[in-house]
Amino acid sequence: MTTMRITINGKAYGPTEIRDELSMNDYLREYLGLTGTKFGCGMAQCLSCAVIVDNPDGSSQTMPTCIVPAKNFAGKSIRTIEGHAQNGQPSVLQKAFVEHFSFQCGYCTAGFVNEGQVLLERLAKKPVARADLDKTIQEALNGHICRCTGYVKYHEAMRDVILADAKRYVS
Amino acid sequence: MELSRREFVKLMTSSGIALSVSHATFAQTPAFATRETLPGRQSWNPAATGVGRIDGLAKVTGAKLYASDFRAADLPGWPANTSHAMLIRATDATHVFTGIDLSRLSGALKPSRVVTAADLATAGIRVPAFYAQADLFCPVGKTPLYLGHPVALLIFEQFDAFDQARMALRDPSCVNYGQETGAVAIAPFGAYRFVRVAGSTPGAPDVYSPMQAGWVTPRRFLNMDLPVWAPANQKGPADAQASFYGEQIRAGLAANNPDQLVLDREFQTQSIDPMFLEPESGIAWYDPKSKSLELVVGVQSPMEATESVAYLLGNARGSFKPALIHTHCAYMGGGFGGRDHTTMPLYVALAAMFYPNRPVRLANNRYEQFQSGIKRHPFKMRSRMGVDRATGKIRAFAADHRLDGGGLANFSAQVATVGATAAIGMYDIPKVDVSTVVFHSRAVTAGSMRGYGTTQVLTALEVLIDEAAAALRLDPIEFRRRNALPTNGQTMAGNALIGVTRTDEVLAKLANHPIWQDRATERARALQQRAGILVGTGVACVNKDFGTGADACLASVEVSPEGRITIRSDAVEMGTAIGTALANRVAAIIGGVADEVAMAQVDAFAPLGLVTSGDPFSITQAAQDAASRNPRWVAEISSPSSASVGAHFSTHAAFEAARVIFRFGLWPAALDLWGIAKTDPRARQWDTARWQQRKLAIPGLPPLDLASVAAKAHARGGVTAAMVHGFNRWSWTNASFKIAGETYTADIDALAVRTGTGTAKARSGSTTSDRFVPLNRTSINIPPAINERIGVAYASTCGTLVRIEIERATGSVRIANAYSVAECGQPLVPEVVVGQMQGGFAMGVGQALLETMPLYEDGPGNGKWNLGEYVVPRATDMPLNGLEIEVLPPLKPDDPPKGMAEVVMIPVIPAILNAIYDATGHRFQSLPVTQAMLKGVLK
Amino acid sequence: MNAATRLGLLVSMTFALALAPAMSVKSAGPTATLATPESFSSIGDTAARSAALFAEAGKVLTSARCVNCHPAGDRPLQTDAGRLHQPPVERGADGFGAVSARCSTCHQGANFDPAGMPGHAHWHLAPREMAWQGKTVGEICVQVKDPARNGGRTLAQIHDHMTNDSLVGWAWAPGYGRASAPGTQKELGALLDAWIKTGAVCPT
Repeated sequence: MTTMRITINGKAYGPTEIRDELSMNDYLREYLGLTGTKFGCGMAQCLSCAVIVDNPDGSSQTMPTCIVPAKNFAGKSIRTIEGHAQNGQPSVLQKAFVEHFSFQCGYCTAGFVNEGQVLLERLAKKPVARADLDKTIQEALNGHICRCTGYVKYHEAMRDVILADAKRYVS
Repeated sequence: MELSRREFVKLMTSSGIALSVSHATFAQTPAFATRETLPGRQSWNPAATGVGRIDGLAKVTGAKLYASDFRAADLPGWPANTSHAMLIRATDATHVFTGIDLSRLSGALKPSRVVTAADLATAGIRVPAFYAQADLFCPVGKTPLYLGHPVALLIFEQFDAFDQARMALRDPSCVNYGQETGAVAIAPFGAYRFVRVAGSTPGAPDVYSPMQAGWVTPRRFLNMDLPVWAPANQKGPADAQASFYGEQIRAGLAANNPDQLVLDREFQTQSIDPMFLEPESGIAWYDPKSKSLELVVGVQSPMEATESVAYLLGNARGSFKPALIHTHCAYMGGGFGGRDHTTMPLYVALAAMFYPNRPVRLANNRYEQFQSGIKRHPFKMRSRMGVDRATGKIRAFAADHRLDGGGLANFSAQVATVGATAAIGMYDIPKVDVSTVVFHSRAVTAGSMRGYGTTQVLTALEVLIDEAAAALRLDPIEFRRRNALPTNGQTMAGNALIGVTRTDEVLAKLANHPIWQDRATERARALQQRAGILVGTGVACVNKDFGTGADACLASVEVSPEGRITIRSDAVEMGTAIGTALANRVAAIIGGVADEVAMAQVDAFAPLGLVTSGDPFSITQAAQDAASRNPRWVAEISSPSSASVGAHFSTHAAFEAARVIFRFGLWPAALDLWGIAKTDPRARQWDTARWQQRKLAIPGLPPLDLASVAAKAHARGGVTAAMVHGFNRWSWTNASFKIAGETYTADIDALAVRTGTGTAKARSGSTTSDRFVPLNRTSINIPPAINERIGVAYASTCGTLVRIEIERATGSVRIANAYSVAECGQPLVPEVVVGQMQGGFAMGVGQALLETMPLYEDGPGNGKWNLGEYVVPRATDMPLNGLEIEVLPPLKPDDPPKGMAEVVMIPVIPAILNAIYDATGHRFQSLPVTQAMLKGVLK
Repeated sequence: MNAATRLGLLVSMTFALALAPAMSVKSAGPTATLATPESFSSIGDTAARSAALFAEAGKVLTSARCVNCHPAGDRPLQTDAGRLHQPPVERGADGFGAVSARCSTCHQGANFDPAGMPGHAHWHLAPREMAWQGKTVGEICVQVKDPARNGGRTLAQIHDHMTNDSLVGWAWAPGYGRASAPGTQKELGALLDAWIKTGAVCPT
C-alpha cells in the first residue's frame, strides 16, 4: 500500500491509501472521477490515457497512465485535460483543435491536447527551425492513435498554432 | 438534491414494460441529458459561426460525454457507489464447457455475485431473436458456440476487489472444458443469388432481374455449408429461372471465345476490427423499490438496444422484471458499425438486475473488446469477368462470395446481400450472376462495419478492372469510363440509381490530376535516380450505396421567443458530427444555428403516438396498405445510425420540421412584421426568402432578425415547434396534413406541432399550448413493397489516386501523395466531409497494408489481442502533407445531402494494390499486403 | 521460484511478484535451463570446450529478453516472438528514446505486472555496435570480445557486466507475460567465467 498525495491541475488530492497495483488510469477515473483522461488500450499504444507531468525543474512531459502504477505519481504535479481551460475559456491549443475540426469522436483528444501543450511549452523554451517543424510535430504526436481523422487536421492545427506565434516557437 | 421537474415520456412494450427517458434538471450534479445536449445555452457554440462542431468545446475540454465516463456518482438519484462486473469468456469452442473454477478468488477477491446460464434460466431471461443463435451464457454441458462466448458474469461490490480479481483470473484460465466435440455447426446465416440479364437493346426491359423476380435463395444446403440452387429451368419458378440464366452466363464466360477476354480470379480479404478508441461499456442500476432499471450505454442503435433489453427481461420472474426501463444513450468514442446491435447492453442490464439496488458497471478492456467486438466479414471471392476485346465493354460478370460470419449472425445476411449487389460497382454490365453465402463459424462474431460488404467486393473488383485494362492495353481510367453505368442505367438488381450519377466527373478529375498524369515519368525517375526505391501509381473509383432500404428518422425542432433553437434527434453521435449537420441543415431553413442539440432521443417523440408492425424489409404490399390506414402507423419507428445515413436520412426529419416551422410560424410572422397582407402575391413566395446571418430577407424589404420573427411567431400563436417522423424505402414516404386551414404535403409520415406561447389575444382562435399536438395525415403514399427488391438505389462516388514508394530492401511502403475526390450532394459540414475523407483514407490504408487477424484459436477470440498485435495506421503511415481532398460541389444549390462516410474509405484500398502492381509487376489478390509479402516478391 | 533463482535477481524490491499471493506469473513455457560448466568437462579439447561453454551462454544472449534490446536497427523488439516494438519507438540520440518518447516514460523503475509492462531504472537500447539480432552465437561472441564494439571492456569487465548488472538481471525477472532468459544470471556468470578461463574461444 502507498499513501497517495498528488497535485492535479493545481489542486491537492489525498492522502489516500492505495494498492501498489492500482494503475494511475484507474486512480484518476475510478477514485477521483476524472474521466477526461481516457482508457483506450491499456498498453500505452494509443496514449488516450496520457497526462502531463510537471517536473520540479520546470520541464514537462506526457506520461501514459494505463501502464504506470498510481504510486509512481505520488508527490507529483500533473495536468489533465480538465485543467487546460481557464474560467471556461479553452486554451489556444484547444481552440485551435476545435476551429480546425481536428477531432471527430473526440476520444483521443485529451491525449493530443496534453501532448500538443507539452510540445508548445518545449518549443517556447527551445524554438525549432522552420525546416524541422513538421518533423518535430510528427515525432511529438506519433505516439497517439486516432481512428477517425487520419491525423491531418491535428497536425495542421498544431502547425498553425506554432506559426501563429512564430516568434515564440520557431527559431 | 432537489428535483425541479421530471417529465416522463412513455412507450409501452408488448411485455408491459414502460420504456422511458427522463429529462431531469437538478441543482447540483447535471443530469445525463444536460451533459449530452450540446453545446448548451451557456457555452461557446463554434457551429454558430461555422468555426467548429457543436460538441467541439465539450470534447476538447474532457467533459463527461461517453458511456465509459459515467459512474454512479455522476447520475442524479443513483446510489453513490459503483460496483464492477466482468464477463468470463470461453477461449475454446471445440470442447464441452464444464464450469468455472473461481477458487483462487478467496477472501476480499471473492465476487459478490456470480451469474451463469442456470441463473438466467431460473429468472426467465429471454434472448432477443437477433442474438438467439447462442445462449447469452454457454450452459455447462454445451460446447461454446464461438470463441469469446461468455460463460459467466462476476460482480464485485468494490472496485479494488474487481481490479485484483481480474488480475488473478488472467492465467491460467478459470474456465474448464471436457470432452472434445469439435466446433458447433449451425446453418448458414444466409445465401442469395442475384442474376440479371439485360434486354438486348438499350431501354428494353430486362430479360430477367431480381427486381422482376424477387431475390433468390438456395433450395437447401449441403453439409450446412454449400448452397444448392434450384435446378435450371427457364420456364420454372423465379429461382429456377435464375439458375437457368446464371448458368448461361457462366457458360458464356467459360467458352473459349477469342473475341472475349475472360479473367477468372480469386481474391480474399481479412478479418478487421473497427478499433474504435472507446471500448464498449455500460453502467446500470435497478431500483427494486420503484422497479425501474436505468442504463447508460453507447450504441448506434438506441431504439434496438432499448427494445432488446425490454425483451430480455419482458418475461422474467418476480424481481427480475422491471416495470420501467430508462435508457440513456451517450456520445460514442467511435462506432464504424461496430456499436450497432451488440450484446453489450444486454449484459449491462443483466448485471444490474442480478445485483439490485447497486449500480454496476461493465466495461471491456481492449483485450476483451478485441475478443468480443463485432468484426468485418472476411470475404473469399471468385470472380469472372468477360470483356469484349474490340470495344472494351464488359459483357458478363459472375462471382461467388463466401463470408465467415463468426459466432452470432448479427447482420451477416445483410452484409452478404449488400456485398453481392455491389459486386459490379460503378459499372454497367448486361449479364451478371453473383452468389453469396455467409456461414457460421467459431470465430468472433462478424457484423456491420463501415463498408458493409462493399469494401471487400469493390476492392476485388477495382483490382480486376485494372488487370483487365492492362490486358486490353487500355488506359485504366478510360476503361472505367467506357463501362460506367450512366444516370438512369439499370443496376444489377434491375432498378435505376436515384439521381444523377457523377462517376464521369470523378473519373475526369482523376484522369487530369498530376498524380495520374505524371505516373510514368515518376516511375522512370525513381528507377534512374533513386536506387532501391520503386515508385508506382494506382487508381480506383467506386460508387457506393447509402441507406438501407428501411430508414426511419425522428426529430423535433423548437424555436424559443428569443430565437433560440433546440433540436432533438434519434440519430447518434459517434464522431460523424451529426449534431452539427442537423444544426446546419435546420439553420438554412429557420435562420439560426441550434445551441441545444440532443442526440439518441428515441423516446422524446411520444406526442406522435407512433406504432409499427411487421418487418420494413419484407412487409407485403397488402399488409402495408392495411396497417397504414392507422394514422399513427409507420413502417419503422427509428433506425440505427449506420450505412452512411446521417446526412441524407437522419437530418431529414429535422429539415422537414424546420420547414413546417418556417412555413406556418416564422413566415407568417415575418409577413406581419413587413406588413404584407395575406392577399398580397408575395405572401405565398416563401421560397424566395433567404436567411443571412440570422436575418430573413426578401427582395425589396428590410431584413428581419430571427429574434424578432420568433417573438412575433410566438405572440401570434403560430407554429413554433414541430415534431416529425420520416421513412424511406428508396424514396421518402409522402403525406398530407391540415395545418392552419391548408393542406400541407411533405416527405414525412407523422407530424405534431406546438404553437406559440404568446397571449391568446394576439390572434382570435389561436391555440396556446405548451404541448405538441399530433396532426392526423389526410393521405399517405408509402414507397411500395416491391422496392424491397432493390439492392442499391442511392449512391455516392469516390475516386482515389495514390503514388507509393516501395523500399526494395525491406518491402516497406510509403504513400508519397494521394488525391481523393468525392461527391456528396450538399455538404452539411464541409470541414467534416474533408475530415471523413482523410479518416476514411487512413482506415483504408490500414486495411490495405497493416490490419489482419487470424480467425480462430490464434485470433482475438483468445483474449490476447491488443494494439501491439493489431497494428492500425499512425500519422507516419499517412501522407500528411501529400493528401489532397476534393469535394465536388452539388449540382444544384438546393440538392439534398448524400451519405459519404463509407465510400471515402474504399477506393484507396484497391488504388494501393494497383499502385503496387505498377511498381512491382506483382498483382496481389488478398488483403492485407504486408511488408513481408512485398519483400517476398521483390527478391 | 527457488532460492537459487532469487539470488540472481537484482531488480528493485517493488517488483510486483512480491505482492498479492493470488497472482501467478505467466511464462511462455517451462523456463529453459542452463548447463553447468562442469557438464562440459567431457570435452577434452580445451578450445572446443571453451566454444561449447560460450554456445551454452549463447542461449541467454540469443533469447528474446536480450535480443529485443540489442536490435539490428534503431527500433527495439518486444515479446517472446521478437516482433518490432509497438508503438514504433526508436533509440533516439542516446539510446534512451526520442525526445517525445523516452523509454522511461513507459518503462518505469520496475515491472508493472497488472499491465504486463516491463520496467527497470535503466531501460534503454544497447548501442548499435552491440546489435545481436540476426547474428549467430559465433558472431556475437566475436563482437562481445571486441573492445571496439563492446564499450571498451576487458573480458573481466564483460563477465562483471553479465553477472552483476541489474538491467541484464532483469532478463530473469521479466514480469507477467514474458519468458525468463534460460537458467539464472548466476549460472550465466559461471559459464562465462569458465569460458574465459578456457581461453574465451568463439564458436564458429
